[in-house]
Amino acid sequence: MARTKLYTGIYVALFVIATMQVGVEQIGLLEESYLLALGLITALSLIKAVMVAGYFQHLVWEPRSVTYVMLLGFVGFLALTVAASYSIQ
Amino acid sequence: MTDDTQPRTDGGTALPGDSHDDGHLPPRWSLKRWLVTTNHKDVGILYLATAMFFLIFGGVLALLIRAQMWAPRAPGEGILSAMAYNQAVSLHGLIMVFWFISPFATGFANYIVPLQIGAEDLAFPRLNALSYWLYLASGILVFASFFQGASYAGGWTLYAPLNIPAFMPSIGATTTVLAIVVFCVSITVGGVNFITTIHRMRAPGLTMRSLPLFTWSMLLTVWMMLLAFAALLAAVMILLSDRMLGTTYFAATTAGGSVLWTHLFWFFGHPEVYIVFFPALGAMAEIFQTFTGNRIVGRKWFIVSMVLVALQSFIVWMHHMFLTSINLEVKTLFMATTIGISLPFDLMVFALIYTLIKGRIRWDTPMLYAFGAMVLFIVGGITGVFLGAVVLDYEFRGTYWVVAHFHYVMVSGVTGLIAGLFYWFPKITGKTYDEFLGKLSFAVYFTGFNLLYFPLFLAWGTPRRVFAYRPEYLPWHRLASVGAVILGISFLLIIYNLAKSIVAGDDAAANPWPYSTTAEWAVSSPPPMENFPGTPSYASGSLEFLRDDEPTGAAAADGGTTATDGGHAAALESAHDDGGHVDHASYWPFMIGLFTVVTAIGFSGLQTGSFPSGLEGTFYAAASVLGVIGLIGSVSFMGYENFTAHEGGFGETWPFGGVENTKMGMWVFLASDVVLFGAFIGAAIFLRVAYGWTQWHPIPHNPIPGLVNTYLLLTSSFTVILSLVAAQKRSRKGVVASLVVTFLLGLAFLVNKAIEWVVLFQGTEEYAPIALDSSVRASTYFLTTGLHMGHVIAGLLVTAYLIWRAWNGAYVNGDDEPLEYFGLYWHFVDIVWLFLFPMFYIV
Repeated sequence: MARTKLYTGIYVALFVIATMQVGVEQIGLLEESYLLALGLITALSLIKAVMVAGYFQHLVWEPRSVTYVMLLGFVGFLALTVAASYSIQ
Repeated sequence: MTDDTQPRTDGGTALPGDSHDDGHLPPRWSLKRWLVTTNHKDVGILYLATAMFFLIFGGVLALLIRAQMWAPRAPGEGILSAMAYNQAVSLHGLIMVFWFISPFATGFANYIVPLQIGAEDLAFPRLNALSYWLYLASGILVFASFFQGASYAGGWTLYAPLNIPAFMPSIGATTTVLAIVVFCVSITVGGVNFITTIHRMRAPGLTMRSLPLFTWSMLLTVWMMLLAFAALLAAVMILLSDRMLGTTYFAATTAGGSVLWTHLFWFFGHPEVYIVFFPALGAMAEIFQTFTGNRIVGRKWFIVSMVLVALQSFIVWMHHMFLTSINLEVKTLFMATTIGISLPFDLMVFALIYTLIKGRIRWDTPMLYAFGAMVLFIVGGITGVFLGAVVLDYEFRGTYWVVAHFHYVMVSGVTGLIAGLFYWFPKITGKTYDEFLGKLSFAVYFTGFNLLYFPLFLAWGTPRRVFAYRPEYLPWHRLASVGAVILGISFLLIIYNLAKSIVAGDDAAANPWPYSTTAEWAVSSPPPMENFPGTPSYASGSLEFLRDDEPTGAAAADGGTTATDGGHAAALESAHDDGGHVDHASYWPFMIGLFTVVTAIGFSGLQTGSFPSGLEGTFYAAASVLGVIGLIGSVSFMGYENFTAHEGGFGETWPFGGVENTKMGMWVFLASDVVLFGAFIGAAIFLRVAYGWTQWHPIPHNPIPGLVNTYLLLTSSFTVILSLVAAQKRSRKGVVASLVVTFLLGLAFLVNKAIEWVVLFQGTEEYAPIALDSSVRASTYFLTTGLHMGHVIAGLLVTAYLIWRAWNGAYVNGDDEPLEYFGLYWHFVDIVWLFLFPMFYIV
């Protein structure tokens, strides 16, 4: 199966990115520049999530409407979290 | 009334009932039938009947409220004690909103939507029955809550911190919250089913654009339900955790705890207004068309407006929070969005009015109620504008203005649904109702309602939820109480009329309404078990029933070849067998509902982590154990049961062509799970912001165990993929080995997590012990990761089942779909962890 190689590559990449996230903390970037480290760690999580959803869950091969369904839920989460958090600033 | 073969306006022809029997179902007079049925029409009737019971339940509570309000009272005066009044007010609201209105609409949706779209049942009939039994289970729990000390007494909005055990300590209050949890699960199951059905099981030629308006309104309703109820589910799960496990999210001492509740509740609560109203709006639109003989004016824009409202409903929730401590900028923003949502509604109301003006109105009972619903909605809408303005809201919030406005809006929805009840009564029962009694009931209903609620605008200075008020409001409250009795009489008239007609009414024609245009009127009243005498098709431009060997044009309609859905011929065969291959009966949804009640009653006794002492505690603990065992057994048997349902994909499937029903159902469920987890994560982020973001450090002292768990989950995701690859290579050993490794990795994740928790609970030489109630920071960590662990455990149970099936040779003969569907879930659990890990271990 040609895709087995792809899946393996994704898996290795996910492994490496997860390690990098802890690396950001271990090198002390959180203490030096908290916002940069927070942004970096969040971005790495997003990249991992997109890779799992796209390839392990086969979203890239499904009709785009399925992706939109998932984005609907994600946008709902973002709206609630961002607006609620902003409301008490 | 017309005869059975009258030509229809869409070109179709109403046909008499065919010779289908009830498949594997016992006859209608048998109690067993109603316990085992999965047929959409039966389930619809069950919903309607149960919702009517809860209408009476909630109505009696309302009459008790009005009796207490007959005069201004001090505590201890009147027919209700202060606590009993609080329970009556709270449960009246909860029962009417949750257990009456939405399920009443769901009853119509169950019965009518498959008929309107040309489907022979819903996509997942057993899940449909399960949805009903969970609904009934939740209703039984609400009823039981009155007998466990006291039911919930803090208002239907369950505001914090009034909702925590310190202020609401009764076991019955916990049972009420558990009932809402079960209700949310029922809604989610039903939502997945309807979304899949309406998108994937439409007749050929029935495009989204030509979908009947009632079905359109239900489609948007279930989408809103799916996302909004997931937020409510998160809210009530967190509340249950505060009540049962001792977490401190909503404790009075938690920074932002009370505001967090209002955010979570109203993120659900405002879409709920449209969830309640949209089905009624759809019914009104159908009735306006039929009884004016005119297509709804601006139909396309009517649909666009409904879509806009459904979307906008999620960005207006903070107008319910103008009196909280949220900042002025966000109040202003939400005032603007609230005004914005009124615009598409204006368009819809004008479309309805203009349809009346252009048509020749026949004032039959359904039309009277539909017209009344529109009038009530206009009054409710206009009076609501006051509450959307920040400054006016400061004055009106918490007064009887809100009570009056709210009831005008909600009861306009009820009125629209009663219109639907009279409209579809002949179709559902096969009998005609008494028209004179119907019109009389409307006159009494409309008079009673307005006598009840309009005076409350005038007595607006009365504070909500209390029975003391200024003496000058006495006449208005007296008038309202008289109106309540008249409104109650109107419901007795409705029930009497319909009950009498079922017993002794004339037989109804297939199509009793001239100018009706939707497909339910093209079959006999009531429709046969499999709904249609052939394959319904709109491919020619009007409704036709094709023989099974005729082409349906599905390939063109689906935008591709029929092979994408797994075979056109097979789909048609399964869809149109005469009951020989399609099942309609299953015990397991009922059994799951039954054990849900037992489980919930058992766990209701859990208070801050322990059961009460003595016999009472033994009862609750035993019920919990029995319930859980019964639930696991029932779910397993339902999974193992051989049940064949109708498959979709033979007609219109936009925009989900090529995605099988079960896969689509799984995706839709995952979308709701995104909101569920999102609300948990959002709650943690919100509380951290309230506390001071950078002052909040991770609970685990070391990120490495979390990193190890990340490795374990990522690897387990990879092995799930490998099991699918092995299945495609037809390697039984490969499938079993991959799944066993997945199971072991998941187990290792749980063991690692358990060790981490034990260390935290016990403390170390360096760190003090940490418990769930040590701080809100600890609460968010334990509960959010605990929810994730619950998902892992559920996944492992499914994995064990898959291993057993794979060991017996399943999945390697081109039947590997279950592995893929399970993989979707498992990868989602993995994705969630990818966010939880940095959030709770690193930053």
